[in-house]
Amino acid sequence: MDALIASAGPLPPKKNYKGKSTSNYIKKSGPTSHQTIPRADGSKIDPSLQSILGSTRVPTSFHQSNLASGSGSAGAIKSDVDISRVKDKKLRSKLTRQDLTNKQAQVERNEVNEWLHKAVSGSKGGIEVEEEEGERTWRVKQKEIEESVGQASRKKKFDLKFEGMGSYKVDYTRNGRHLAIASSSGHVATFDWQAGKLHSEIQLKESVRDIKFLHSEDFYAVAQKRYVFIYDQNGVELHKLKQHIDPTYMEFLPYHYLLTTVGHAGYLKYHDTSTGVMLTQIPTHLGSPHSMAQNPHSAIIHLGHANGTMTLWSPNMTTPHVKLLAHRGPVNGIAVDPSEGSAGRYVATSGMDGMVKLWDGRMWGKELRSWHVRNQITNLAYSGMGMLSVGGKSGVTIYRDLQDGNTSHTPTPYLTLPLPSLTSSSVKFCPFEDLLCVGHEKGISSLLVPGSGEPNFDSNEADLFETYSRKRERDVRGLLDKIRPELITLDTDFLGKINESRGGETFEERNSRSYRQLGRLERLRANGQADEPVQSLESEGEEDDQGEEGRKNGSKEEKVKRKMKGKGGSTSRYLRKKQKKNIVDNSLLAMRAKVAAQRKADDTKRKIASGEIVKETGALARFG
Amino acid sequence: MISRSLDDHLPSSSTAPHPLQRNLAPHLHPFQKPREYARAMTAVKIDRMFAKPFVDALGGHQDGVYCLGKDSRRVGIVAGGGGDGEVIVHSLTLRRPLLKIPHAHKGLVGGICWSSEQHDGRRSMITAGKLDGNIKLWRSSAFTPGQKSSFRGSEFASGSGNQEILDSTGAIGENGLNFDEDDAGEYDDGEGEDGEEGGGLNIDSKARDELGEKLEPKMVWTNKNGFNGIDHHRTDGVFATASNTVQIWDETRSAPLSNLQFGSSMETVNKVRFNQSETSVLASVGNDRTMCLYDIRTGKAERRIVMQFVSNAISWCPTLPTTMLLASEDHNLYTFDIRNLNSPSQIYKGHVGGVMGCDWSPTGEEFVSGSYDRTVRLWNRETGKSRDVYHTKRMQRVFDVTYTPTADFVLSASDDGNVRIWKSNASQKLGPVSTKERQAIEHRQKLIERYSTEKGVKSIKDRRHVPQSIHNATKLKRDMIESRKVKEDRRRDHSRAGREKPKAERKKAVIVEQK
Repeated sequence: MDALIASAGPLPPKKNYKGKSTSNYIKKSGPTSHQTIPRADGSKIDPSLQSILGSTRVPTSFHQSNLASGSGSAGAIKSDVDISRVKDKKLRSKLTRQDLTNKQAQVERNEVNEWLHKAVSGSKGGIEVEEEEGERTWRVKQKEIEESVGQASRKKKFDLKFEGMGSYKVDYTRNGRHLAIASSSGHVATFDWQAGKLHSEIQLKESVRDIKFLHSEDFYAVAQKRYVFIYDQNGVELHKLKQHIDPTYMEFLPYHYLLTTVGHAGYLKYHDTSTGVMLTQIPTHLGSPHSMAQNPHSAIIHLGHANGTMTLWSPNMTTPHVKLLAHRGPVNGIAVDPSEGSAGRYVATSGMDGMVKLWDGRMWGKELRSWHVRNQITNLAYSGMGMLSVGGKSGVTIYRDLQDGNTSHTPTPYLTLPLPSLTSSSVKFCPFEDLLCVGHEKGISSLLVPGSGEPNFDSNEADLFETYSRKRERDVRGLLDKIRPELITLDTDFLGKINESRGGETFEERNSRSYRQLGRLERLRANGQADEPVQSLESEGEEDDQGEEGRKNGSKEEKVKRKMKGKGGSTSRYLRKKQKKNIVDNSLLAMRAKVAAQRKADDTKRKIASGEIVKETGALARFG
Repeated sequence: MISRSLDDHLPSSSTAPHPLQRNLAPHLHPFQKPREYARAMTAVKIDRMFAKPFVDALGGHQDGVYCLGKDSRRVGIVAGGGGDGEVIVHSLTLRRPLLKIPHAHKGLVGGICWSSEQHDGRRSMITAGKLDGNIKLWRSSAFTPGQKSSFRGSEFASGSGNQEILDSTGAIGENGLNFDEDDAGEYDDGEGEDGEEGGGLNIDSKARDELGEKLEPKMVWTNKNGFNGIDHHRTDGVFATASNTVQIWDETRSAPLSNLQFGSSMETVNKVRFNQSETSVLASVGNDRTMCLYDIRTGKAERRIVMQFVSNAISWCPTLPTTMLLASEDHNLYTFDIRNLNSPSQIYKGHVGGVMGCDWSPTGEEFVSGSYDRTVRLWNRETGKSRDVYHTKRMQRVFDVTYTPTADFVLSASDDGNVRIWKSNASQKLGPVSTKERQAIEHRQKLIERYSTEKGVKSIKDRRHVPQSIHNATKLKRDMIESRKVKEDRRRDHSRAGREKPKAERKKAVIVEQK
């Protein structure tokens, strides 16, 4: 009996145990039933005990801080401090492991971005000019760009001239290989623009207001005079969507398989294209909208209205998530920035009042930046690298880095693309290419905009060189992974968060519950054990300089200790002891060398911090 | 300008895979969480769609099956004891009886266990009668089909070669079936086996029944009282029985080695079990709502607890030596850490009838329980709600359950005279699984685990359709408990503050611990 209890090891100490702590646990070195391996220092190791370590870890020589790369100065990856307060050992180790994996992945991704995905020229790619000598990027003409780029890129600039067909709308597929154009007088064509292969060309002989590809190049929807029609790749009419009356604008949400239209009556309609069922229709009560855009990161639909408001919609609410008075005139252009720095956060709007405004989706109260544009603006578009094109009368202007710098000034354009005596009716950047497609009264023009496209695509999301079999695979997988429309929300990260049950509708109901009926969190709160952070606002994007400084100050205050530095450390104590004996042995020498190396490293670190030495950065720095 | 070369993005040859370019930057992968959630939903639906736990029912009993005897050293064999005194040794791989002993006992069979050794290449089975008060030791080579070389002595006593023999016969694909026609005679060295067609799989049922009829027990012990339970020592030739006391017997002696009882209590002992790690410790549950621990080295009852309700079965965790499981008549199961018997370490609620049997999985992470409410439930050690519930229309009250030693299957013995084989993981695929498939399965499991707190996934994962009667009983029980608690709350509200403190459910289970 006692042997059984003894074999199970010591009992865990009781919670309110106030006696001496049992840390002086001595490992017995007596004979064990296991086979042991003798070591050089006389000790014995039980291989079965050592075979499984508590945690598998990366050797210290591979830690970020010990690599000589420029980015790894942050120190070893450590788990979040909050995790160490979790009492449950298993949960804690699980959380720690998850946290470390996430952080490790982040670091590795940054490295990949730094070493593999970085543009060869400059920081962001694009045109570079000598600013000091008075050269400006916006003065560079298409012809000059065309002359200076390679043969392959030159081919991408082309014009399709269709006189007297009305103004053109354009749309690219998600991988940017296929282009659909539709003129206001009913000329519709789709083609693989890179191969120059025409898929379909039809004359509808009625007014066409918009065209959109569905989930792949196989299907496209056309907003015609009365209804929305769906055609297949060969231009065969497949469906007439009778519910969509008088459509003016369309958007397709590719991950949700939702075709969204809005018409003159101001009804926003969501139609599921995988099942063919109309999901919902929402009256906007704001009349015929003047513009429409989707947020590719949250699937929220943005509508611009005649009274100058912009509204944000999802199929789950009959009222807009956000209603924003953006302009003094009708809002005729909306674009959402899909680039890395923004990920759907920044929205640009343009109005008939001649203003372009940049908004931050986290704080709609005031625009981030606004400026006046002289030519009449008709539409906006964002590129994969975050360039904003402003299309209007007699040309397109392109801006970049709008969030940075002095936001009170009018931004200098990056590039101007004049279209004499033409008005752009539609502008679209080609995904993963440095191209801008402009639809106007005389056809379409594909123009070169260096540095606008995201250069590194992901084959699993949008494959530029998609084969037949991979496309087939993607079609099936896409349908299997179809996201339910209920999951469209403003906050894209809400899944997996704790839903705080409030337990009843009224205050009475909530407060008349007994302790037993409370939820876990509420019980903990009642006990004062909830352990909640004061502010749960924590996002990576907000780590600006000030925040960093504040954190440093905070850690400094914490660090105040009454201990004299360099006295009580185990190393120095060891050295002091050894030095007294005046015997030089190998271990002492090693320790001295270690201390010296450490001092030197500290010294260089200090010098780098103060700017005396410039730290080697670049690809070769990691090799020392 | 972006300029891509086709050479980098097309397969190098017609058979080469399509080259992939990855960019893991999050802005290129929108809706990561919702898409993963959609996959988790698909995974959990697939999991439920493939959940077909029932494998087979092993019939042959004339009456209900009231006890199971698992041979922990061999995976493919289980013995079932019937209400009419019949004992049938089933082969799980062949799914038919290997041997039927029609009149092993008069009346109900109280318990079956297998000895730790084998003699002359024959395993011994020990059965105890509930009414006739007999213990019988049976020995036949039909228990170990396919064994070719004769072997004497304890398997633990000498050498590794013995283990080899056991391993080869214990494998699932039992390769033959060899009946010793002359049971009293010597075991002959697999003479007629080579000529047998079908590798011994075609059982001559007539010969088998004849053999069962003629089989005589090698040893018989008699006692005044009937036996409710029996369990064998893990390594030695010693077994324990439960009657009005706990008795320890040696296989070679005719009288019990010792009688164990706590103080002078004269309660009826229901079940007895040896600990598998600390092999001389055993535990019993008795009719006086007690659980008692004994050590056969000291020959004493060490300590005892009295609980609110009587326990029907007991099982020691095979990996955590101090953890034991009690199946209680109050519809719950309890695990105890025997170092702290004041309160159970976990209560497992879910059954709506008294729990009649329980058994740990060989991993010690899970266990199975069978109940009087005609269901079998599977549990994780760490969670108080059952992982799964098995039932069929024809399965009557379950009296004993056991895990197979491979942890793949669960066996249940019920009133309707069948031993049923269930998969321990309802949606598991039987048979070989390719690496790709296994990876997909593991990926799906991980997804389910990750989103198991999400409402959509959780409701599909946890929902089980149970028979109407059980559904209603669950609802009724929930209402009763709720109203009881509400009443308690009200009483507390109207009494002096601090007078009536709520008592934790775990503290209620144990009334007193006696030493």
